[in-house]
Amino acid sequence: MSTFLEPKFLLTLILMGTIVYITYLTKRSATASDYFVGGRSFGWFTNGSAIGGDYLSAATFLGIAGLTYQLGYDGAYYAFCFSIGLTLLAIFVAGPLRRFGAYTVADFLAYRFHSRRARLAAVAVVLAISGFYAAPQLLGAAQILSMFFGTSYEFGIIFTCSVMIFYVGIGGMKGTTLNQALELWIRLGAFLLMVGAAIWGGLHYQDILASINEFKGTITGTASFTADGKDIPFDGSVWTGTGNYFPSFWQTISMTIGLSLGTIGLPHILLRFYTNPSAKAARRSALMAIGIASVFFLFAVYLGVVGRSIFLTGEADPAVMKDLIAGGNNMVVPSTAQALGGEWLLGLVIAGAFAAVFSNLSGLFIASSGALAHDLYATFFRKNITEKERVIAGKLSIIVLGVLYGVLGLMVKEASIGHLVALAFTVAASTFTPIFILGIWWRGMTEKGAIAGLVLGLAASMYMIFFKTTLPEFLQFNVPGIITVPIGFLSVYIVSKLDRKVPSDVNDFMKQVHSKESEAA
Amino acid sequence: MAGEYREYNYVAADTIDVSELKPLDPETKQIMKSEFSTGIKLTLFYYVFILSIPILNWYAGEFMFSRMWGGMTYSWFFTSIVAMAMAFVIAFIHTTLYEKRLKKNETEQSSAHADGRRIG
Repeated sequence: MSTFLEPKFLLTLILMGTIVYITYLTKRSATASDYFVGGRSFGWFTNGSAIGGDYLSAATFLGIAGLTYQLGYDGAYYAFCFSIGLTLLAIFVAGPLRRFGAYTVADFLAYRFHSRRARLAAVAVVLAISGFYAAPQLLGAAQILSMFFGTSYEFGIIFTCSVMIFYVGIGGMKGTTLNQALELWIRLGAFLLMVGAAIWGGLHYQDILASINEFKGTITGTASFTADGKDIPFDGSVWTGTGNYFPSFWQTISMTIGLSLGTIGLPHILLRFYTNPSAKAARRSALMAIGIASVFFLFAVYLGVVGRSIFLTGEADPAVMKDLIAGGNNMVVPSTAQALGGEWLLGLVIAGAFAAVFSNLSGLFIASSGALAHDLYATFFRKNITEKERVIAGKLSIIVLGVLYGVLGLMVKEASIGHLVALAFTVAASTFTPIFILGIWWRGMTEKGAIAGLVLGLAASMYMIFFKTTLPEFLQFNVPGIITVPIGFLSVYIVSKLDRKVPSDVNDFMKQVHSKESEAA
Repeated sequence: MAGEYREYNYVAADTIDVSELKPLDPETKQIMKSEFSTGIKLTLFYYVFILSIPILNWYAGEFMFSRMWGGMTYSWFFTSIVAMAMAFVIAFIHTTLYEKRLKKNETEQSSAHADGRRIG
């Protein structure tokens, strides 16, 4: 069989072709509204699918199953924490944000306080969160290309960034939304087939958990793939218990806070609520995304357990065993798919993994492009910019971001996708989450309070992530949400209380974001 | 309506001391109060569930990591199955209550229209 007729090539090419086709169909972005928010024309089903596509990134499709495979219960706990955030977003932010209805996340602050400084601070935070989030997505894409198509890691990064520049630069928010919605269903299909194949093969959840729990010793046949030439030791009772990754109760709580509140502050997710035609549609979109995400997280954890079960029996194809060791935890889903359903299922999963990466990256590119072109360039450098120039600036900023994120991707070669994304969530939880919750529900928030929250939340989370080892041991959290999130909230609250200078028209703002649906839609 | 967009450019605006702020109009106040009250109740209930899992895992580990169904422990069951359903259930209740309020609001709709803020 010719190489290009192999399922993995064929299905990936079909995915690429579909992306190109959708991008071509939606390439006309006459106005800034078309380009940045898709003309606000997407109903709850399309936007719900796109939010799901945006949220369920490579971290979910590859990372959660990988973390469960590697860490056991603590990996499953990761999925649990990721599953909380969208619900809180739906409750407190989705509807009011749509009633506000601008182009970018920074617009919210700029308008709430009539402030350029607040806009600038928001741009910096959008770029920081997006960079943190984009790097692991690129890592996932490069690893898939490297493992299954034999390309180098560097090629994988350059290839993925090039696809993104084409896909987002030409299609704008319209093309991005439709591609994200389609890509979500590809992933869901891949997961459904994998779950079906696992159950068909007798790998029932409760049974395999029992056999994993009882396993203690070395895993036969792994010696030839390990650096020390010895079979890998494994203790199932440790794997099914807690404490593998989060060594203490407070470490667990810290991650729960960071991840559960992080979703509210993710710029690419917040932005999606601007694309609905009404606040009611925004809430329904969120509900649909939560339903999809819940199913996904459930499947991801189960497939991580299936992967571990296949690995322990040592009966899988040697190539699969090698991939499960050499590929690290990020490549468990493709390897498990190969073991369960052979080349065709592997092909679908590889296409699904690319879909996950493209889907999430495109959301990040659009959010960051809005920050650069709309918030920075059009606000600070070209005040009298025309609609057409604004769209061109958006497209040019995609090229800049492609290069920037590519460099970040090259820097995280050895990292865990799931963990890096968790850190992005922590930064979001410590910066935008306090701003959006308090900005929507508290009239007493001031401009200085908001800026202090953004700056101190960002600084604290960056310090605790990058300079963790300089801190006393009791402050060295894997995911430092327990410290950084209160810093974000308290900075906003304390500085606002001291400042006391609120915008004189804050009541009008509150009326706008909380007005009756019929008045605002 | 779809496609409608107001340009949110920077405009200078006055600030006032928070103590001089006029009370919110009764309608907006009532909407905010009712939405926040529903949201906070659901969130508190949700967080009691969310935080009870790690608390029980660390302080009642023997029970939480004992088997309830095959090799599935209570902890595994609540974390990877019940929690996923719970996220949807909470959001579903919230959306249903919101749409109920919306329907009620629409039937009582006043003729007053919000003009939004003057932004220059």
